[in-house]
Amino acid sequence: MGANTLAFSAHDDLILLVRDRIEVDALIKHVRQPGDGAVVTFDGCVRNQSHGRATLYLEYEAYESMAFEKMREIAASLHTLFAIDSLAIAHRLGRLEIGETSVFIAVSAPHRKAAFEACRHAIDTLKKTVPIWKKEFFEDGAVWADGELPPVPAATPAAKPAS
Amino acid sequence: MHTRVLFFGKLKEITGAAEQSVELRSGATIADLFERFAHNTPALAPYRSSVVASRNQEFAPWSTVLEHGDEIAFLPPVSGG
Repeated sequence: MGANTLAFSAHDDLILLVRDRIEVDALIKHVRQPGDGAVVTFDGCVRNQSHGRATLYLEYEAYESMAFEKMREIAASLHTLFAIDSLAIAHRLGRLEIGETSVFIAVSAPHRKAAFEACRHAIDTLKKTVPIWKKEFFEDGAVWADGELPPVPAATPAAKPAS
Repeated sequence: MHTRVLFFGKLKEITGAAEQSVELRSGATIADLFERFAHNTPALAPYRSSVVASRNQEFAPWSTVLEHGDEIAFLPPVSGG
């Protein structure tokens, strides 16, 4: 998919998968409304080393349609769990250089506690459930980063044939 | 029964293709589908325990019975963020 994916969902949340630089100021401005007393942000950026090896750059790929839906689910769940106003979640795909932002989350709320907790919950859940993969490139090769296996719903018992 | 199958990350490199289409017998499960690919590409087999599957963009257990037109993906541990 060449174009960036973008959607406004319920509560005027903003969910994005982008291939260009994440416009963090625009995301903050989007969530910051007159009824808010706090905006908490998380800026996930590309580190210059991994387990002591110097990183050259990263590449992110996604199962884009599913990643987008999982990010929307995170946004929806935040509204049920925390007293927040709105949020923006953006994840970048493709090649990223050291220091660039790979994921950015902004959460606004009338009071700071909900905004802090919701932002933390959003990034923790994203890292466990959103189908995005990071490949780390070094001087002497490349590896897919260790990740987390998402939880899968239990199998429903097979329907018994009518007797 | 026609199924679209997607591979990501390490799995895509092993199979050499991001997307394949397969015909399956009626009643086949996601586990059967993985087994077929692991049979054709033995290097895939060791990843069975460290992969989850999705059916039509929802995480799905291995016992899920496939339906015509399903989009199945095999997903390594996720590492976004």
